[in-house]
Amino acid sequence: MTLPLLAVRGVGKRFGGLSALADVSLKVAEGETVGIMGANGAGKTTLFGLIAGNLRPTTGSIDYAGRPITGLSPDRVCRLGIGRTFQIVKPFPALTVLENLRTAAMFGHAALRDVRAADRHGLAILDELGLADVADRSAATLTLSGQKRLEVARAVATGARLVLLDEVMAGLTATEVAAMLETLDRLRSSRRLTLLVIEHVMRALMEFCDRIVVLHHGERIAAGTPAEIGRDPRVLEVYFGA
Amino acid sequence: MSRLWAAALAALALALGVLPFAANDYLVATGLSLLMWLALTQSWCVLSKMTGYVSLGHVVFYGMGAYLVVVTWQRWPLALAVPAAGIVAALFAALVGLPVLRVRGPYFVILTFGLAELVRYALVAYEAASGTASRILFGAPDLVVIYFAMYALAVGATVLLALVARSRFGHGLRSLRENEEAAETVGVPVVGYKLAAFVLSAAIPGMVGGVMALRSTYFVVDQVFDPMISVTVIAMALLGGGDGPRGPVLGTLFLFTLSQLLWAHAPLAYMLILGTVLVVFVLVAPNGIVGLFETARERRRLGALAREPV
Repeated sequence: MTLPLLAVRGVGKRFGGLSALADVSLKVAEGETVGIMGANGAGKTTLFGLIAGNLRPTTGSIDYAGRPITGLSPDRVCRLGIGRTFQIVKPFPALTVLENLRTAAMFGHAALRDVRAADRHGLAILDELGLADVADRSAATLTLSGQKRLEVARAVATGARLVLLDEVMAGLTATEVAAMLETLDRLRSSRRLTLLVIEHVMRALMEFCDRIVVLHHGERIAAGTPAEIGRDPRVLEVYFGA
Repeated sequence: MSRLWAAALAALALALGVLPFAANDYLVATGLSLLMWLALTQSWCVLSKMTGYVSLGHVVFYGMGAYLVVVTWQRWPLALAVPAAGIVAALFAALVGLPVLRVRGPYFVILTFGLAELVRYALVAYEAASGTASRILFGAPDLVVIYFAMYALAVGATVLLALVARSRFGHGLRSLRENEEAAETVGVPVVGYKLAAFVLSAAIPGMVGGVMALRSTYFVVDQVFDPMISVTVIAMALLGGGDGPRGPVLGTLFLFTLSQLLWAHAPLAYMLILGTVLVVFVLVAPNGIVGLFETARERRRLGALAREPV
């Protein structure tokens, strides 16, 4: 196996006396899509925060593309090529949809310093996400589904090679979930993205991911292909109490 | 619209530029005062409009600049003292910026206000202890010289805000105003950017204070740290609206003209009317005069769309 794009080694995060994550390791190869599964409070979003630099790990280390990124600030992590979305959407509300992407393109890994180049880049991504019609509307006016798409669009607009998707399908209708899956599938091949996906929609995870890692109470309890995870006794026990 | 705006701005710059050659001292002093407010408001916007960190203590930079020029009076040449006033203000912003910019919203507002008051009373106490409660300045430069120094500062502050608003730096500042966590997650170095905006917005007010000190033949520390200066700047920026240099120009002109008229014709009702105007603006036009223009333009555009045959 070649060098993994992302290597998380034994990371842990304590908030005071509470251990949110303990000794979690995982590797993601270039071009792979890896799902993160687990109940509420399992530590999934904490793991994203550690990778993206929003949180600093208490133990362990994280490497991206062969260089250590443990404890780097989020803006530096982003400039190195990791983008993330937020489960609770965080658009730049008063800016237009295109301006949201413009900032990402100007400051992220893409580093398109020229406004016009950044806008061309942003428009192409909006087109792929079906947001081209609302490019000039302020981000605050979008529906939930639109705002979730904007989160994805903005993360991709940074020029990231690795994108962390935090529940981008939560709260969407079945039709919207199907449309989002189709969009993500196209996006990962057109932009050659490596994806790390947190999702509660099981069908989405099973269909969409090459591998799945299962967290439970901050610990990694299983990892494997979707089929393996589907018959893993520990996973079944945690999920169905069987 | 933007061509009209450019023409209006050029006309204003020209009118203010020839004023000292065509008017009496009273009018020149009035023009100087207008330029001072314009320079302060444009500078304030570089921090507060662009980043959403509302400073209620911007007078601290003005006061420090004024104080520096006064204490170095007749020892340092003005060509050195006035730029030094800007540098001292900028250094002070750089020094206090990191801790102060850690807090947002109302906490930042109160903290900047408190900081300005702290510096004010510290200097008042220092002056009292050293036995110089006030000073008389002899041999200050001619009004016209002071006027053109201020003219340069007002133009400089306007150009600064225009450049910041258009630049990549400005895009980064706007994004952190909208959501700081999201901004850093898309690669904006928020800590450095906030600090840079704070320092940039402090330098010109420091020099403005230094230049205005030359107008006070009788100098009292307390006066140059008057919190009303901070408040007036905020009022002008709010009335103007937007985050480009257009708002401060419109807001400063409007509020300055209004207060001149009220002082002259209704001094007793001055604060009442001013207060009413502010309340009406905040309620009816929260994005100021610039916002009113934009709404009108949007309405015309939608009207034109509605009239088009389907």
